[in-house]
Amino acid sequence: MNHIFRKLQVTFPQQASILNQSLCRATPSIQHPMWCTASINERQYRDMPTHGIGRWRHLLPKQAAKKKKDRNQQKELVSATDTAYGTLNVKVSGYDMTVVEHYSQYIHNLCNRLNIKVAESYALPTKSTEVLLMHEQGNKTYVDGVLKTHQRVVQLSSLNASLCPVFVDVILKNQPEGVQLSVQEHTEADYQARFKARPELEGLIAQINQ
Amino acid sequence: MAAPCRKMASRSFPQLLCYFSRTAVGSGACRRFSVTPIDRATPRASTAADRATSPWSLMAAVCLQRLPVITADCSPIEQRFKQMLQQMELEKSLVSDHELRLMEDAERMSRRQADDYDSDEEDRGDQEIMMTQDLEDTWEQRLKNFQPAPRVRADIDKDLSSAQRCLADSLVLLAEQQVGAERLWLLPQAAWQEGETLRQTAERALDSVTAGVKATFLGNAPCGVYKYKLPKAARTEGSVGRKVFFFKAILADGAPGSAPTAPLLWVKKSELQKYLKPAYMMKVDRFILNL
Repeated sequence: MNHIFRKLQVTFPQQASILNQSLCRATPSIQHPMWCTASINERQYRDMPTHGIGRWRHLLPKQAAKKKKDRNQQKELVSATDTAYGTLNVKVSGYDMTVVEHYSQYIHNLCNRLNIKVAESYALPTKSTEVLLMHEQGNKTYVDGVLKTHQRVVQLSSLNASLCPVFVDVILKNQPEGVQLSVQEHTEADYQARFKARPELEGLIAQINQ
Repeated sequence: MAAPCRKMASRSFPQLLCYFSRTAVGSGACRRFSVTPIDRATPRASTAADRATSPWSLMAAVCLQRLPVITADCSPIEQRFKQMLQQMELEKSLVSDHELRLMEDAERMSRRQADDYDSDEEDRGDQEIMMTQDLEDTWEQRLKNFQPAPRVRADIDKDLSSAQRCLADSLVLLAEQQVGAERLWLLPQAAWQEGETLRQTAERALDSVTAGVKATFLGNAPCGVYKYKLPKAARTEGSVGRKVFFFKAILADGAPGSAPTAPLLWVKKSELQKYLKPAYMMKVDRFILNL
């Protein structure tokens, strides 16, 4: 709008003094389109042909709304078929935490390489064992040391039966010293054992059932 | 081959519980194993329509491995790198509880021996009965009394028939068996019979050669195959040659049991070439891992 007023103002002095016309006065007479008149922060009018020209989010496929409680749900147990084992737990345990962790990471990486699907990879709580020794003279025992057993579990969702001997052979040949390896089926009881006991809840359930 | 493969595919797989432990030279020279097959389905008898007559007869062989008991020695570069890493870790590490106590005790001793020592000023909790240095000394003493078993025993290493040789390598069992007209060194094998799976044939082969050694089979799928044609003189209409399927097994801990029926050898992968025939060796070489 300001430009229009300026244009009107400029044309009057043009008529007044023709001799003083210069190039710079000619430029304001160019017609500016409507969109230049608005500043950047104003919304476009909906009748404009270019209304909503930059919109792109409506073109993406619809995503389901994210539920918050996804993490603690149990993954489904895959059952064994004729050519593949079901959900297996590869449990690595030992006294030396760095060795145990590195070995479990090695197994996980090997599974990724061999395209074996790893369902979960978690740690079970550490168990502390106190070693008590008898005194040489007398019957009293004293604490000689504390041994901590660390456990790591790599859960495989399914293992092809033809790949199984190769996989087990490789992890056995690379087993470090002082580390125990155990391959077992995953059961519901294994999953429930990871949770802490809730005594109040159990008390209330017992009261309801009475 | 039509019959056994289909049979293997149709039976439900046994659910295995395997437990492998590797402790530093515990009992014997083998790792402790326990295997509990939970559910082993009986194989279905194949009907006459299933079997296609084929001129190849089937055999199953077992590749029994004894896994290494101790870690292999490091090469010179590995040793230097290991030392460097240990040095770096030591320099980056924080002082442990035991070392802190040592330093405190030393400080206390030096304060006690100073001229202007006043024992009432000392902030004494319960005085420890044992000084930390004494604890360290007793530990050193106990370490000196401990005698570890030797890692390399040269005389046992040379005895090829002992399963305790070469503790740092994995060994494979070879047996001398009669094949055709000659006696050859090969992985223990047996002919497949009707009504059993190839894995059961392999187990039978192992039993026939060693009599009572406990082994854990790693799966129902074979790891290799070798086929050979019979010499022209022995070929008939029904049999052109034999196909041998190999199954891997791991030696479980335990005494070897009674004396073996056939001469046995425990060899490393590098020594296999001396005993096996070249064509056979090429196929066997592919699935024996030398890790």
